[in-house]
Amino acid sequence: MNRMLARTLVVLGFAVFAGAIAACGDGEDGADSGGFASGEPVEGQKKGGTLKVTSNADVDSIDPGQAYFQVTYQATYATQRPLYSYRPGNTDEPVPDLASAHPVVSPDGKTVTVKVRPNVRFSPPVDRAVTSRDVKYALTRGFFPSVANQYVGTYFGDLEGAQAVSEGKTRDLAGLQTPDDRTLVMRFSTPIGPTAARALVLPASAPVPEEYARAFDAKKKSDYGFNQVATGPYMIRSDAKGKAVGYVPGRKIELVRNPSWNGSASGDYRPAYVDRVDWTIGANPTVAGRQVINGSGMVSGDTVPAPIVKLAATRHKAQIAFSPLGNRYITLNTALAPFDDPDVRKAVAAVVDRNALQLARGGRLTGKIATHFLPPGIPGFEDAGGLEGKGHDFLAKPAGDAEVAAGYLRKAGFADGRFKGARISMVGTRDDRGSQIVLENVRKLGFDVNFRNLSQEAMLAACATPSSKVHVCANGGWLPDFNDGYAMLFGPFSGKTISPEQSPNWSQLDDPRINAKMDAAARLTNPAQRAKAWGEVDDMVTATAAAVPTYWDDVPLVQSKDVQGVVARWNAAWDLSFSSLK
Amino acid sequence: MAGYVARRLLWVVALLLAVSAITFLIFYTLPSADPAAIRAGRQPTPELLAQIRQNLGLDEPVYVQYWRYMKGVVLHFDLGFSYASDAPVRDQILDRLPATISLTAGAVVVWLALALPVGLISALRRRRWQDRLAMGAALVAISAPVYWLGLVALYLFSKDLGRFPIFEGANTYRPLTDDPAAWAASLLMPWFVLAASFAAFYARLLRANLLEVMSEDYIRTARAKGVPERRVVLGHGLRPAITPLVTILGLDIGILLGGAILVESVFNVPGIGRLAYDAIRQADLPMIQGTVLFGAFFIVVANLLVDLAYAWVDPRVRTA
Amino acid sequence: MALLEVEGLRVSFPTEDGVLEAVGGVSFSVEAGRVLGIVGESGSGKSVTALSVMGLARGAQVSGQARLDGRDLLTLAPDEMRRVRGRDVAMVFQDPLSSLHPLHRVGRQVAEAVRVHQDVTRAAARARAVELLGEVGIPEPARRVDAWPHELSGGMRQRVMIAMALANEPRLLIADEPTTALDVTVQAQILELLERLRAERGMGVVLITHDLGVVAQVADDVAVMYAGQIVERAPAATLFAAPEHPYTWGLLRSVPRLDAPRERELVPIQGRPPSLLHPPGGCRFHPRCPHVRERHRHVEPPLEPVAGDPRHSVACLLDAPTRRELRQGPVA
Repeated sequence: MNRMLARTLVVLGFAVFAGAIAACGDGEDGADSGGFASGEPVEGQKKGGTLKVTSNADVDSIDPGQAYFQVTYQATYATQRPLYSYRPGNTDEPVPDLASAHPVVSPDGKTVTVKVRPNVRFSPPVDRAVTSRDVKYALTRGFFPSVANQYVGTYFGDLEGAQAVSEGKTRDLAGLQTPDDRTLVMRFSTPIGPTAARALVLPASAPVPEEYARAFDAKKKSDYGFNQVATGPYMIRSDAKGKAVGYVPGRKIELVRNPSWNGSASGDYRPAYVDRVDWTIGANPTVAGRQVINGSGMVSGDTVPAPIVKLAATRHKAQIAFSPLGNRYITLNTALAPFDDPDVRKAVAAVVDRNALQLARGGRLTGKIATHFLPPGIPGFEDAGGLEGKGHDFLAKPAGDAEVAAGYLRKAGFADGRFKGARISMVGTRDDRGSQIVLENVRKLGFDVNFRNLSQEAMLAACATPSSKVHVCANGGWLPDFNDGYAMLFGPFSGKTISPEQSPNWSQLDDPRINAKMDAAARLTNPAQRAKAWGEVDDMVTATAAAVPTYWDDVPLVQSKDVQGVVARWNAAWDLSFSSLK
Repeated sequence: MAGYVARRLLWVVALLLAVSAITFLIFYTLPSADPAAIRAGRQPTPELLAQIRQNLGLDEPVYVQYWRYMKGVVLHFDLGFSYASDAPVRDQILDRLPATISLTAGAVVVWLALALPVGLISALRRRRWQDRLAMGAALVAISAPVYWLGLVALYLFSKDLGRFPIFEGANTYRPLTDDPAAWAASLLMPWFVLAASFAAFYARLLRANLLEVMSEDYIRTARAKGVPERRVVLGHGLRPAITPLVTILGLDIGILLGGAILVESVFNVPGIGRLAYDAIRQADLPMIQGTVLFGAFFIVVANLLVDLAYAWVDPRVRTA
Repeated sequence: MALLEVEGLRVSFPTEDGVLEAVGGVSFSVEAGRVLGIVGESGSGKSVTALSVMGLARGAQVSGQARLDGRDLLTLAPDEMRRVRGRDVAMVFQDPLSSLHPLHRVGRQVAEAVRVHQDVTRAAARARAVELLGEVGIPEPARRVDAWPHELSGGMRQRVMIAMALANEPRLLIADEPTTALDVTVQAQILELLERLRAERGMGVVLITHDLGVVAQVADDVAVMYAGQIVERAPAATLFAAPEHPYTWGLLRSVPRLDAPRERELVPIQGRPPSLLHPPGGCRFHPRCPHVRERHRHVEPPLEPVAGDPRHSVACLLDAPTRRELRQGPVA
């Protein structure tokens, strides 16, 4: 399972609350008239108290070197300081966190130099100052088979000598140099530096003390997570030996203050208002949602089911916040006829009724109709056309445009504007009304469709395996690893990611111009230039109609009346070190 | 008797072996459940995959893996590590066991305490209002889905969500060893919700059994002796009527010890059931294997105990 | 005054298809120290008669009288009747295996019969149980007292049932097909036992059976029942020597007799007993009677003494000479 699969499963999880919210769709009970909680920090938030989190899901891994899901990041970012991080309301530019300044990327894009703050300390029992070697070890262990971090290969796999580490030949990653306690130099064999520098917001860059973690990491499966030390304002409650007794898989996470943390003295911008976080795992989502809304001092730790969203959005508006996350799209397999013809693809894009898809998802509360791929909040979104898009005629009308579709089919050689040809295969997801809508839309053009309704896992397997020759995948989607065009577009649309198995590029789009443009965009360091370049990539991909952008999700987050919840926008989840009690 | 028990124990072992082998095989024939790929990330290098496979022992033939697994189980009671959380399976199961036992034991007490008197009274007052009321209620309790019943109970009686805030609600489970009072308070509603359908079923069964027993010849004999009616029922009728319930009770307890998923999930009682459910959802083989083994163990042991109990209550079985 | 006097006993059961009259007005009496045999096919109402006297006919509507020493048992309050059961009147049933509690040891079952009516200690009751088991001819009673019913043979089980019945020295013993479930040699032993006990204790005994052979062996008086009614009543010797009712003839013909010539065929009675939900009008036996006349279909025959023998009654519409003539035929 790759990021695509894992993260897409999470996306599809939101499908649970589709449908049922449809009832509260447009305007009914004033649910759509805004006035929801902003999720932004406010002046004079109260200090102290215990924040209670409830979630159905467990963390994917308690080890900061393995953690990958939004739910998990809520705990990871309260307990760990990666080199860089996003302030809760800001999704554009990360700020130095453990690092003391922005990273310096060499002109050739192959070297990244980072300076580490001098006065950050590990929590007991390690209780010593963090050095650049701890960051080096943290990144290195991500390549250990016993840790097997899921994203270091993508962003740091081109570090010199990374291969040797993942093959188990050495435990010293040659491409990471620490000339002194404060400095980390990263040398890449390719010019991926600017992108890798942006990926340093991921928790794999949070320091790990080698002398302490070595024994845990030497096991077949590292259990450092169950013995971890913290650098953030909180730590998992632990015993004297450092065993994280506050985490019981599937049951609970207890976060307490990290006695070694000294806040702004070590440059940490996080206020860390509450004294404790008591996180209950395994809660029934409906029950927990009601407990959060009726109760005191609670926030939802994961997806909120439809009835709860409806309840909050109509009657407890100040207790629900929405945060955009990721996108959804329909992929058209460019490697298979007839979708090797851009005009046929555009005809399909033109006929898709995205209004109906939005209604099927649950109406405007659940997200916005997409006009391209970069979602709101990701740099480049505005450059790619913002909410309106760049005005491609095949995406101009949200309800679909039969005329335009017919026009493209005529252009493709079908004189009467209807498709005639061999049967195509399409897969959708069971219980997804959207897949049905797409099927009906496509049939309107005259396609003979062999439609298969599959479980999520089977759908993902079919779409990610080119040899299964699926023409249309009705239910694709992507979540970014961090707020950057690369993290949003490279996986699903670069020709370099096509592989015989677990290929994230379902469209099999392999356009040399786009590939080159992506590579160029990935080398840019200047934020504005980079955003603009990825915006252009987005539009180029959109123009190919290799996939039809349908939706930008908004994630609902609920809180108790007496909680001042602050949303970490980049993660579309609560920021536990900024939320407070009222 | 000792030979019988020994023979049965051998059966238990054989059964557990078969169950574990079948689970293993099913998992390996499943598509899209390569644990190495789960751990390897978006663009795994073949070397990393190979390393992880070797680390997890996945590069060996299935039977070697199975052999190694069973060796771990038998020699060290080591059930391996969860793919999902990396935590030892044994520790997680042992961590969940007290909650499951608490839930099951309490529910059994509740349902027997309800079912025995209700079934008895229903049989004695057959076709009168007491019987009709009790059997009507039993029908409702049997038909009500446990999940729905749990939600209704929460929305009616829980302290945080209920219209009549009387009992502790969901997510309040505390281990018995932490605080016995809080333990009992947090489990009160789950006990009743879990017990409801069982109580109804057992009450109906007892009523039916008792009615049947009360028309037996030996009951007529007791009456012909001049035994007072109360003693005819309690002293002569009840035991034969209850005996068949022992079998079902044993099996039900065995099954519940394997996990009561719905009640555990509504009230968030951290028991084995939810552990198993999550493991299946995440294709977490070591955890599936561990919970299945535990569940199977409880069921076969319950079966054995039932048979022994049967021999104890019914002299005819003993000599047969 | 007889020990038990039953008069006009009617027993009916309400069913979904209507009222089933199992016993349609029977009268008989039992003297102390004598055995009354009640004979009939299954479904003739003989067992219901006995159970009604015991107050054990569940769900039945009972009318008439059943006086034990002049006290009408049918009007007693349930608890008073309970005190009579097992103390004044005891009963032995057909199938000793199903009639004994499978989960109680036999000694306990006998002792319970003692303790229900006598205020004795557990130990005394047990000692009495051993004594009783000995009395009914169970070898090694001190050991058998702890046996389970399923460990005993059929004959031994019936002896246990009898021991239980004797526990309180009842004056009347009702034995409902006590030997039917047993094999022939054991049958004889049990009948001998009953006979001995009657003789020793002067009990009145009602012996219910479908087997005229059994009646012939132990009964002093015989009542023949058919379709819920007594059709003939007489001292045993009289009945066998000079049966008056065609049904009795039929019964006698269908019984293998040791003293009969071997070549004589057994002749079963034609047809089946009538439904008691819708009994035939007139003489209830008329559909099966080989000597039926038109009148018999409409007129119900009363049970009347046979001319010249006040102890012999019969309910038959044929006149006496005709009967005598017919009887000369095949029965002899």
